[in-house]
Amino acid sequence: MKRFVSDMKKYYKYAKYSAKAELKSEVAGSYLNWIWWVLEPVCLMLIYAFIFGFVFEAREKYFTAFIYIGLTLWTFFNLNIKSSVKMIKRNRAIIGKVYLPKFILIESKIFENLFKMMISFGIVLVLLIYYKIPLTWNVLYIIPLMICLIVLTFGFMTLLMHFGVFVEDLGNVVNIGMRLVFYLTGIMFSIETRIGRENPQLALILGKFNPMAFLITSFRDCLLYGKTPEIIGILIWLAIGTVLSVLGIYIIYKNENNYVKVI
Amino acid sequence: MEEIAIKVENLTVCYKSLKPYSIKKNFLRLHRNKKDIFEALHGVSFEVPKGQILGIIGKNGSGKSTLLRALAGIFSADEGKIDRFGNTISLLAIGVGFQKELSGRENIILSGMLLGFSETEIIEKMPDIIKFAGLGKFIDMPVRTYSSGMYSKLAFSITAVLETDIILIDEVLSVGDQRFKKKSYRKMKELINNEERTVIIVSHSIGTLRKLCQKVMWLEGGEIMMLGDAGEVLDKYQAYMDSET
Repeated sequence: MKRFVSDMKKYYKYAKYSAKAELKSEVAGSYLNWIWWVLEPVCLMLIYAFIFGFVFEAREKYFTAFIYIGLTLWTFFNLNIKSSVKMIKRNRAIIGKVYLPKFILIESKIFENLFKMMISFGIVLVLLIYYKIPLTWNVLYIIPLMICLIVLTFGFMTLLMHFGVFVEDLGNVVNIGMRLVFYLTGIMFSIETRIGRENPQLALILGKFNPMAFLITSFRDCLLYGKTPEIIGILIWLAIGTVLSVLGIYIIYKNENNYVKVI
Repeated sequence: MEEIAIKVENLTVCYKSLKPYSIKKNFLRLHRNKKDIFEALHGVSFEVPKGQILGIIGKNGSGKSTLLRALAGIFSADEGKIDRFGNTISLLAIGVGFQKELSGRENIILSGMLLGFSETEIIEKMPDIIKFAGLGKFIDMPVRTYSSGMYSKLAFSITAVLETDIILIDEVLSVGDQRFKKKSYRKMKELINNEERTVIIVSHSIGTLRKLCQKVMWLEGGEIMMLGDAGEVLDKYQAYMDSET
């Protein structure tokens, strides 16, 4: 654990700089350059608002903001998880040349996606103002919720990164799994009202045992509806996230110098 | 009594059944096939005093690159241990991981940070690196536009200017054009004269090693065949290589 803290301190700057570099290289050479960082989420938001607002006539309150919060959090989670499987292979060139604590790669990826998520949250803010949604002190709960999300994501990523090295087709499995979770998370609809009316039990299970569903619902509660999220839920998921992270870091430290031999 | 920079004791590195496997293969095959272990290095022990230039020579597949990577801390030792006495170390190899879309300048910072330098230190040394690499206006262009020679030149310059205590070089002195080669030779000479730097070079070129190194290690099949003064070992190696053909 001590080693984790000292490595974190030593390489923190690198993780940040490499995230920045990654972001830059993503848009380098494109015509609109960094405007894409804003343009892409805005366009996605418009598409979803159109499809679900007009075509499916969604009836959730503050619909666009409702979907957009879900989408923002999901995108963060999804991009991170999917990239973690191939993380080591993609960075083969670096790993084969210097020693680098491998979780730094994850950290860098999280920074990168966190930046994108912040832009999306800026759009959420605009939507809140547009809908004239009254803000309450409950908004402050997004800070612990955010920490919970990051710790959980980190935990999942460490484990997936490790197994991704040895299991070649883990990527396919994860893709299918993530798609399933996507529909079970209630990003386009509210689990409580859509599934909950006929199947309250199922809705409860989906809402409680799926961390993303729980987190997204909590974010919506505190941002849109001025409700206090379940604090016990946050603590439990934070604890699970911490356990996963510690386990993942332990496994990575034990095996990381063998990764190079495999790839 | 001279100071030791690296001490290697009974180092063994294996590549064993670490092949990635797919789920399908595992389902179809009920019993695991037996492990195939390949020992790239077997019981290698040596020490390098501070300030020495050590050359490593040997046939392809004799474990030279594995040894360097183990020294750099990229591979874990399966047996034995490596003591670096807290020296910083960097491995210089052809084809390093640059971000292709970014400029040379940004890649210098990125690579430097990977070697454990702070951003301010790197920016301080930036002009030296750029001057040494001699890339001209290309330094501000994306790395993907570089020719392979320019690529290696930049890589070499970063490691050469941002001096770590121990520098490991893998077959890289042959990069670049005549002028750059001369420049890197001069830099190597400078490192030799510098009492603080320890350098380990892997090369197939007997001429290079003869010129640069004080001591040479001859690796054969993962074991040390000979370790001694450069001239002596290289003569024996030459004779051995000639006799085999």
